[in-house]
Parts: sequence; structure tokens; C-alpha cells
Amino acid sequence: MKFTKEDKILLYRNMVRGRKYDEELVELFAKVKVPGMWHSGIGQEAVGAGAATFLRKDDWLEPTHRGYTFGLAKGVDGKRWLAEHLGRATGFAKGKGGHYVAPKGSGVLPFGGTIGSAFPISAGAGISAKRLGKGQVVVCLFGDGAAQRGTLHESMNLAAVWQLPVVWVCENNLYAVTAHLSQSMAVKDIADLAHGYNMPGVIIDGQDVLAVAEAVMEAVERARAGEGPSLIECKTYRYRNHGEGGAFPTSYRTKEEEEEWKKRDPIVLFRQCLLDEGDATAEELDAIDKELVQEVLEASRWAQESPWPEVGQAFTDLYAD
Amino acid sequence: MREISMREALKEAIREELLRDQTVHIWGESIESKGGGFAICRGLTDEFGERAKDTPLAETAIAGSAVGAAFTGLRPIVEIMFSDFAFVCGDEIFNKMAKARYVYGGQDGFSLPIVVRMKVGGYVSIGAEHSQTPLAPFMHAPGLKIAFPTTPYDAKGLLKTAVRDDNPVMFFEHILHYGARGEVPEEEYLIPFGKARVRREGDDVTVVAIGYMVDLALKIAEEMVQDGVSLEVVDPRTLQPLDMDAIMRSIKKTGRVIFVDEDVTCCGVPAELMARVYERLTEAGKPPVPMARVGAANVPIPYSPPLEKAVLPSPEKIAAAVEKVLV
Ligand SMILES: Cc1ncc(C[n+]2csc(CCOP(=O)(O)OP(=O)(O)O)c2C)c(N)n1
Ligand SMILES: [Mg+2]
Repeated sequence: MKFTKEDKILLYRNMVRGRKYDEELVELFAKVKVPGMWHSGIGQEAVGAGAATFLRKDDWLEPTHRGYTFGLAKGVDGKRWLAEHLGRATGFAKGKGGHYVAPKGSGVLPFGGTIGSAFPISAGAGISAKRLGKGQVVVCLFGDGAAQRGTLHESMNLAAVWQLPVVWVCENNLYAVTAHLSQSMAVKDIADLAHGYNMPGVIIDGQDVLAVAEAVMEAVERARAGEGPSLIECKTYRYRNHGEGGAFPTSYRTKEEEEEWKKRDPIVLFRQCLLDEGDATAEELDAIDKELVQEVLEASRWAQESPWPEVGQAFTDLYAD
Repeated sequence: MREISMREALKEAIREELLRDQTVHIWGESIESKGGGFAICRGLTDEFGERAKDTPLAETAIAGSAVGAAFTGLRPIVEIMFSDFAFVCGDEIFNKMAKARYVYGGQDGFSLPIVVRMKVGGYVSIGAEHSQTPLAPFMHAPGLKIAFPTTPYDAKGLLKTAVRDDNPVMFFEHILHYGARGEVPEEEYLIPFGKARVRREGDDVTVVAIGYMVDLALKIAEEMVQDGVSLEVVDPRTLQPLDMDAIMRSIKKTGRVIFVDEDVTCCGVPAELMARVYERLTEAGKPPVPMARVGAANVPIPYSPPLEKAVLPSPEKIAAAVEKVLV
């Protein structure tokens, strides 16, 4: 895929939007009482933006629990998403689901609190996509920890033998909570798993948003053309600890490692790239940053001022009639 | 009226629904090559191509893909060969199918139209991991619907209703019922969920029997006529929704009730039903009635035939429970 200047600006926007919402949640967790958990994706924005920005509206995206760059890039309304995360009546599910829930129309698939349940759900969306014949594609995001679940095998195998239009995109940030990948998997690269399912598997620099977008869109076009699934491993890193508000140890990784990765911040890198290529001026990018800061501020205020759901809501919506 | 087997009735239901609605699809192990675990779907692939398809041996992918497919526009029917294997895909059934609509707040017409067909039942000596009738675990999961037909007529009508239902339906088929024959009309019909059927009218004791237990209850009811005992056999047909009104109506008539279920007794469906009957009576200011339950012993289902027989419910055990509530 050739990216126009507008495409690149959109990628930049989506990364910055993801980060600003994320920073806001981190701050909310630190300052006020927020229900639930927040797994910050700061540092990993290139993967979410690269994977989701150029999908069709009717393509499906399977989210992870980390950050929300991908969901916002897929078109989910940030203020209602935030309200849902805060458990408010104005959220997508009236506060009953939490941040895992997005409107079906946005093309975001159900995410499970059970890590690894994303795989078979994505395969199933792939079955629909293939049988309904509208050329839809499914992009399934998953972590390196999720890759350790058996659900990966059953689902990648099914997608491969049925040639389903699913693109498996791994956000390999090296850790599952505190466990380094080398403790948990016998392969160094998740992309190696692709051999077992007779599908292409590639390793991508997950801090380079253009590289991610290129690889994902190439696999998406392949899938759209009926050529089956692919696996893309994005090497990335989360800056913050596993979750906000919890007592997570810090000793499982070194400060040096953290600093090393932060030198290659995906937003800083891409900003420089846009400037170097003459795709944007610093003033233009600053204006985007400012606009998004404002958007998040307003969204957050709106979400925080939103009412709690009526207690009666706890007893509705179990069955469709 | 013509007589067909439950196997044929189930196949007719699936075939008619595949014909009616292009979004209905069925997948599971050996669907194409063998018609599924119990040959219900034989020939469907010839007629419907990839809409009736063999999956790899992968229960998690079977059930999980049903969730993804139902969310995105299909109405999948999936087959889990033995209900014992449902625990392999417990996350997909209990965490996803059951909870999804609720955690989505029912937004923009959210639904998960899935039918999970499962063979249940013992009495055929195939061991602890192929013989269970695990009804209670599913009834314990708000968000699931549960149907368990006992005649070919009910099987066809309930399965067609299940396919058209916008909720995940656990559809149980007893291994000893597949060959059972019964009257099934040629013309189309549906059986609504939540409507029990009185399979035999009687005056002395209400027997609420689930699944294959209806057969045992009808048998002992016949025999007990000689003892001057008249049993009323009620088949709930669906456990979620459950026709409590029909059960209470029968109890009002007989004044006594026993519950029969093939699942282990501990925390079984009868335990729940006994509690509900008690609550209904006390809430209405009425005295409690004599109640008893019959279920499998609290052990895994043993393999050896005499051991299995000792563990599972039998007409004799039902008779003993009847005697208990009669005194
Ligand atoms: C089935 C299951 N096991 C464990 C957990 C607890 N848990 C939540 S996130 C997580 C780590 C996931 O690691 P990874 O997939 O690499 O994603 P990351 O957090 O690194 O983004 C764990 C173990 C869970 N939610 N579900
Ligand atoms: Mg990880």
C-alpha cells in the first residue's frame, strides 16, 4: 500500500489520540477513584494505529486489553468509551461492560477478560467474513502472553485449513505481567509459529508505524483476495507497568532496558519522519497535538460528569427477546 | 401421522432451517464425513456445501468461532460431540456466550444467535468422560437458554425454535433417544421455549422428569398403576426458560412432587427446583408439600455396566422416591 501525505497525517493523529486518552486514564487512576483496571499501552501506539487505521469500516478488529489506540483508530467514539470505562450510564453498555465493550457498528469484536479468547472469536468472525462474501477481513491483535494459550493453536489451525481472511497481529512487548517471554516460550520469535500453520509470518519493528501499517495492509489485501491468514509479529514495549493502580513489582526488568526502548518512541520517531519527508511542518503537528489534548480533556470531563447507571440496569439486558 | 426417529427429526429441523435462512450454518467434528458424532447431519454437506462443514478436533475453536460468527452475522449451529467435552470450551460457553449480551448492555440489537448441540446421557457404558448429563452447570450460567427434548416431535419443534432464537441455546440430545420413534407431522411447526408438557396425567404424585428420565418415569408410572398409585409426569422441555407455572399447577393437583434428573444429585437441577417450589408455596402463604429428588450418585459415572446401573437413576429408584412422598 502506498501511503499519501493524508494517510500519514491520519496515522500520526491516531497514535497521538491513543496516547492522549491513555495518559488521561493513567492520570485518572492516580488522582481519582476509577473502577476497574487500566493496562496502559503507552509506547505501543504504532502497532494499534498501524493495524487499525486503514481497515474498512466493515472490517473486524479484535482488541487487546492494552491501551486503546486501535479502537479509537477503528472509529470508536472516545468519550463514550471513556464513560463506559468509568462505569457511567452514558457508556456504550450503560456501564455494564467496562472498556472491553464497543459498538458493533465500529467493527470492534468482543474482547474477553480471559486472555487468549480473542483467537477463536476472530476465527469465527473470519468464517462470517468468508461466507457472507462482502470482502471483509478480520485483524486479531494479541499479546505475547496470549500466544501461550492453546486457543491460539486451535484458531490459527482452523483459520489456515479453512483459509479464513484473518490477520493475526502480535504485540510482542516481551512481558506477560512480569514474566519475560524467554521464560514462557521455547521460540524467540512468535512469527515462527506461522510455519506450523503453513501461513506467512513476518517480524516487524513495532515502533515504526509505517512498517506496521504496510505489513498489516499487505496481509489484509492478501486475505481480502481469498489467500488466507497471515501472522505479523510487532516487536514493541510498554513503558508503564502491567496495570495502573495495582501493586506490581518493577524488578522483573531493568531501568536500562526501559530507557533503551524509550529512545525509540513511536510517536517521536514518526514525527521526525514526517518532518524529514516534508509531509508536515512542526506547526501543523503541534496543532494536531493541541487539538487532541483538547478533545481528550473534553471527553474526560464529559465522562466524569456523566451519571451513574440506574440500579435497575443491573437486572436488564440478559436475554434478547 | 408418520413416525420418524429423533435422529431424523433433528436432521429435518436443521435442514429446514438451513433452507429457510442463508445465515444458518452448521459446523462440528465429522459433520461432513459422518453427519457428526451421532450421524444427525448425514447428507447435509452434499446439499449445502460449506454451510455444513467438518472442523478440526478443536472444541475451543468450534465454540469460540460460533461466538465470533454469531457476533458478525451468521446463525451458527455447532455440535459438541459429547457434553463432557463442553468443559473443554468452558470459557467460550460460560464467559462469552452467556455473558456477552449483558456486558454489551443489549446495545444496538446485540444478540448471539448460537445453538450448541450436545449429546448427553449414560446407560451405555462409555465411561466417566462420555456419559455425563451436566445440566446444572449450564443452568447456573445466566444468559444461556437450555432445551432438552424427549420425543421426536419436541426435538424438531424445539430445535427449529432454538435456531431462530437470538440467544445462545444449549441443546441437549440423549444418546438413548436418537433411535426413539414418534409421530412428527409433515407440515412445519415450532414449539415455544418455556412451555412444559404433561406427558401423563395422574392424581397422587407429580413427577418432574428431565430428558431421558421422562422415559423412566413413564415406565414406572405404568407399573405403579397396579399399586393404585397414579403419577403425573411433567416434562419441562426447556430449563431456561422454565415453566414453573406448569409445575405448580400439577403440584396443586397432587400435593406431592419428586424431581428426577440424570445429573449428579449435588447442586443439581432438582435441588434448584425444590427450592423454587418451596419459595412459591411459602410466598403464597401455603404449607410446604412433600418433596423428593432422584439423581445420579455423587460419583463420576463408572464404566462397568453393573456399577453404572447402581449410580444412575432407575425406575426402581423413582418408585422408592414416590413411596417416600406418599407416606
Ligand atoms: C485466561 C487468563 N489468564 C490470565 C489472565 C491475567 N492476565 C491479564 S493480562 C495478562 C498478561 C497478558 O500478557 P500479553 O498477552 O503479553 O499482553 P500484555 O499485557 O503484555 O499487553 C495476564 C496474565 C487473564 N486475564 N486471563
Ligand atoms: Mg506482553
